[in-house]
Amino acid sequence: MSVPTRRRPPETSAPASARTGTRTRPPRAPRAVTPARQAEAGKNDPRERLRRVLFLVPYAVQHPGIHVKELARRCGVTEPELVADLDFLMEVGSPPFAPDDFLDLYVEGDRVHVALHQSFTRPPRFTESEAAALAAAVGALGGEGKQRAIKALRDSVPRDRRASFDELVDRIYAGAPPARDSVMGRLQRAIADRLAVKLTYLSASSSTEAERTVHPYTLAQRLGHWYLYGHDASRAKPLAFRIDRIRDCALTDQRFEAPSEGELTRARLFSEPTGEGIRVRLGPLAAAWALARPGAVELLKRTGDGGAVVELKGVSEEWATRFALSFGGGAEVIGPASAARHFAEAVRGALARYT
Amino acid sequence: MQKAQRLLDLAAFLLRAAEPVSWREIQEQFADDYGGTGDAAIRKFERDKADLLELAIPIRYEPGDEDQAAGYLINRDEFYLPDLKLPPEDLALLYLSGSAALASGAFPYSRDLAHAMNKLSFAARAPGASEAAALATTHLSRPDAAGPGTSLLEELSRAVGTRKRVRLVYAGAERRARTERDVDPYGLFQKGGAWFLTGWCHLRRDQRTFHLARIERLTVNRKAPRTPDFTPRKNLPLAEVATRETWEFTVHAPQRCRIRLEPPVSPEVLASFGPRARLKEDGAATVVELDATNGEGLVRHVLSLGDRAELLSPRPLRQRTRAILAELARRVA
Repeated sequence: MSVPTRRRPPETSAPASARTGTRTRPPRAPRAVTPARQAEAGKNDPRERLRRVLFLVPYAVQHPGIHVKELARRCGVTEPELVADLDFLMEVGSPPFAPDDFLDLYVEGDRVHVALHQSFTRPPRFTESEAAALAAAVGALGGEGKQRAIKALRDSVPRDRRASFDELVDRIYAGAPPARDSVMGRLQRAIADRLAVKLTYLSASSSTEAERTVHPYTLAQRLGHWYLYGHDASRAKPLAFRIDRIRDCALTDQRFEAPSEGELTRARLFSEPTGEGIRVRLGPLAAAWALARPGAVELLKRTGDGGAVVELKGVSEEWATRFALSFGGGAEVIGPASAARHFAEAVRGALARYT
Repeated sequence: MQKAQRLLDLAAFLLRAAEPVSWREIQEQFADDYGGTGDAAIRKFERDKADLLELAIPIRYEPGDEDQAAGYLINRDEFYLPDLKLPPEDLALLYLSGSAALASGAFPYSRDLAHAMNKLSFAARAPGASEAAALATTHLSRPDAAGPGTSLLEELSRAVGTRKRVRLVYAGAERRARTERDVDPYGLFQKGGAWFLTGWCHLRRDQRTFHLARIERLTVNRKAPRTPDFTPRKNLPLAEVATRETWEFTVHAPQRCRIRLEPPVSPEVLASFGPRARLKEDGAATVVELDATNGEGLVRHVLSLGDRAELLSPRPLRQRTRAILAELARRVA
């Protein structure tokens, strides 16, 4: 029996990189590996490419004529990288490697079309690490549906890998859910249904409770605390609310427009630096600990004794004071003046309790 | 032929097959890859099968019966991501928690998580999908965007999952000494926004916890990547380790301690004393009672609560708190 060779007849289809309707395949140029390219963790790893195209093909099937730019964005690659992926896919097929046995995704007028999908119409199941990462995230957020969601994730892993999933789930602990599930449950519902909520909120600065009407966009975890990020009607701007300061949460029947992607991106950065940071002087032991804290601490200078001066960005004076006091005398707030005053007053106030 | 291409070809071939495909036929169709007669060909095929299973593509061997010959196939029901069939609020929970984890900056298996979020758009239709996907996309396209320490967390996640031994260069906090040690990584946990590794430390011959930011260098044992290096403890109490408060580290014998909290006492301050603290009303104030095995840790926690909290007893800890405050007051005067 003769074994068909896996050479694709050139007249059957055009490579994706030929954007117009020419039907010849140019020789594929080897791709340069630059340090910058290498630095892009995993993107060019063959395994990563497989995972990407196993999503790319069904996504393009589901979205006929999707713009190259949009598909590239969804796959997390640049447009030339996407086109290289499409070229790669044209070489993929199954025996006997007749023209119709290959995958065929082509670009016409900057849009991606699928001529032959070879049954890759849905992505494969979750790998155990995909499902376990998501399950760990669900575990940290909690809520009434937690067990159901984790079970559904498990059932979506191939049968042979479920034991690995079970083991992995027990090996990642992303933090305890915020104490009050009822508030969280209502917030989750409101975010999903885009319903405005009325919050009874204990403000950190004034220690007073106030009612706020908020369009809830998303939840975010930052420095170990959960926050609701949403648009506050009375202040007319998006703000972050610490979940454990929400005393009560009531859903209204008022619907709101979906936040833009830009607004959601800002949710990632909601407590990123704005304005002047707060400076803290640290003794040697405190410096060793503080510099191990992720995110908010930036080293300004080392001091002669092995200590350091650091800057805390995007935090309140109260937060900075608590941070400095938590080093048991090994740290003090030194600037700006109002923050240093806040610290000094807190120290004197606390000392008054012991005399 | 490129390996990636061979794997996809094989998947396409077996996905399309109406009935099991015999080894002989696979060899014929992939003559360049699995041709030949020796064990090498079957070993190569088995490795490819394992690689595909790691991508969640299960190739099954069906023993023959009177109706069909024995062979390999990919069952479509086992291949395609099923619909999760969850009520909308549970789907919202999945989307929200996944997006929040990606947005938090560092999360184990964050790349896998981003892939999972992308796949979710097929497994479930729900509001929130587009936001979740947007975050996943950002994460996939800018692997460095997640912040420092991400690649360390990723490497450790893999080592935990594949049970491979790691070698750490670790900068201790209090002793400020740099040590090199082999660790069997049992699990990863998050506390106060930072990630920790817990595992068996071969240097100390004990289970130890390591702050990821103090790991200066990490080397994962690359030998035999699919063979685990150790068997982790059964019933690893990861949540218990993760929720241990600093005053519960074992430094001295347990001491009964009392702390008075002035009103208004916020829920987060109460929660900060952990699940094992006992709370008593004292007029409008609250008195917290707990057992500390590391008094210094408790002093620091009470200090961090400012003038809302007062360490009542035991006396030596109260005096220690007072001395620290007096020294600080002198410095800021």
